Amino acid sequence: MTEARVTENPAPRAATSAELLLDGVSRSYGDNLAVRSISAEVPASKISVIVGPSGCGKSTLLRIISGLDEPTAGRVEFEGTPVNGVPEGLAMVFQDYSRSLFPWMRVDKNVAFPIKHLPAKERAERVRFAIEEVGLSGKEKLYPWQMSGGMQQRVAIARALASHPKLLLMDEPYASVDAQTRADLEDLLMRIQAELGITVLVVTHDIDESVYLADRIIVLSAPPSVVAEVIEVDLPRPRDHIATKTDPRFVEIRGHVTRLLRSKEQVAPV
Amino acid sequence: MTVQQGTDPIHVPLSAPESEAVEERAAVPAPPRRRARAGFPWPVTVLLRLLVPAAIIGVWYLISEGRRSGLFVKDPLTSLERFVEDFLSGDASRLFLGDATYDHLFPSVGRALAGLGIAIVVGVVIGVLLGISPVLTALFQPLIHLGRSLPSPALLGVFFFLFGTGDSPKVFLIAFSVVWPILLNTIDGVSSIGQTRAQAAQVFRIPARDQLLHIVLPGAAPKIFAGIRTSLSFSLILMIISELQKSENGLGYLLIQSQRTFDYAGFWSVLIVLVLLGVAFNFIFLAIERRALAWHRGATQQND
Repeated sequence: MTEARVTENPAPRAATSAELLLDGVSRSYGDNLAVRSISAEVPASKISVIVGPSGCGKSTLLRIISGLDEPTAGRVEFEGTPVNGVPEGLAMVFQDYSRSLFPWMRVDKNVAFPIKHLPAKERAERVRFAIEEVGLSGKEKLYPWQMSGGMQQRVAIARALASHPKLLLMDEPYASVDAQTRADLEDLLMRIQAELGITVLVVTHDIDESVYLADRIIVLSAPPSVVAEVIEVDLPRPRDHIATKTDPRFVEIRGHVTRLLRSKEQVAPV
Repeated sequence: MTVQQGTDPIHVPLSAPESEAVEERAAVPAPPRRRARAGFPWPVTVLLRLLVPAAIIGVWYLISEGRRSGLFVKDPLTSLERFVEDFLSGDASRLFLGDATYDHLFPSVGRALAGLGIAIVVGVVIGVLLGISPVLTALFQPLIHLGRSLPSPALLGVFFFLFGTGDSPKVFLIAFSVVWPILLNTIDGVSSIGQTRAQAAQVFRIPARDQLLHIVLPGAAPKIFAGIRTSLSFSLILMIISELQKSENGLGYLLIQSQRTFDYAGFWSVLIVLVLLGVAFNFIFLAIERRALAWHRGATQQND
């Protein structure tokens, strides 16, 4: 068990508006190259989505961004500081809520756990706020396993929010919930992001979801992954599931991303 | 935290549509209702449960009536009377407990609990260390399997040699014998907490101490309790074995002594004490477990 390293951040913020900068990030496991020279910028206070085919090294990339793993080449900068260990101001929502939440803690304890070091009063206030943000007020004393999957993932989001993140990483956050819940949680995320102005980076394999959520889509190719294209999504906000998804521009972007993923799947070297 | 990916008993992907009806599965963690077995009304259930014990006592009685077997097997009533006389017949100043309770039962229970207590502390501490470090596990795995498969009563002589003839050789024999299930279960439990939870703890920069107290130990607790439960019954067995030799008191001593003096009523009364002791230990253990692992019962039931 290694204690998380704290990255002090005395340096002034770099002139670039990129909250997160990936510069030629590669990661190989032995001879197996998982990601190959990925360069991308994640703009501050926007929703960026990394989309790619299954097994394209998305999880590897997230581990590197969150400081849990080191790239074999290239560098990651968070707020202009090289990432070395888990940076402060980063929170994460995992795909597997039932494994990332702590089933022996009630909802409020789960949410409060990462901010245990704060004074009780501030902690209680943050927990209350975070739980309210995700629409779970009144459910504080339930255990996660007493809730549906979607509600558990809301708890995970609340837990991330309680730590007041600047950067919220989400690893396939809605892959384990049903379609209706997924739609609700997508809207929840966009509302929270708009309210709090945090930077969000979502990793997904769902093309619809990527276009619906994103200000910027970073399309990855099949492994060993490279950035196939970066797409600025200029769909108006607030978005909704009917109007946005029937917007010709939405259909156009979705088709474009689909073609990108498909062609890359076929021509990518193995 | 380096935790191996393990099977996670808690994880079953839920995919119920999030309608109002299923949103809240239970308002409070309700204790599981005791359901009558196979839907019988409760008097029938009680009767069924008493049937086998009653039959056993009946057989016991029949054997005690045999011409030859009766010499050794005292009938249930005589044994029970003797049990009450020896163990339960004191005045109020002695809490209505007999001399044998103070002279033999309490010292025995003390040794069993001391041995079990040492085993729990040692087993959990070492188990957690090994569970979070694959290197340590690899190093000590052979040693653990060696220790576990050693028939520990064979070591009684060694323990007498090492610790003299007082309580300590007995306590250490019990501790040594019952530490293995706890140790192995703790290792298993710690590795079963899962990579995602370990990763979550890292990303949220939980200090090592909190990871240990609030993630590793509670996460491993269901398995640790399972280990302790096995060890509990072992500790009673080892308690008796350790008192068979070089002992001046204790239930094991009493068993041997009553046989040597052909006091078979005394012998059978000790067996009654042992049965009651086993039941009592188990009952207390279950009560503690029920409190400590309420979340776990709930979680596994929901996912059934």
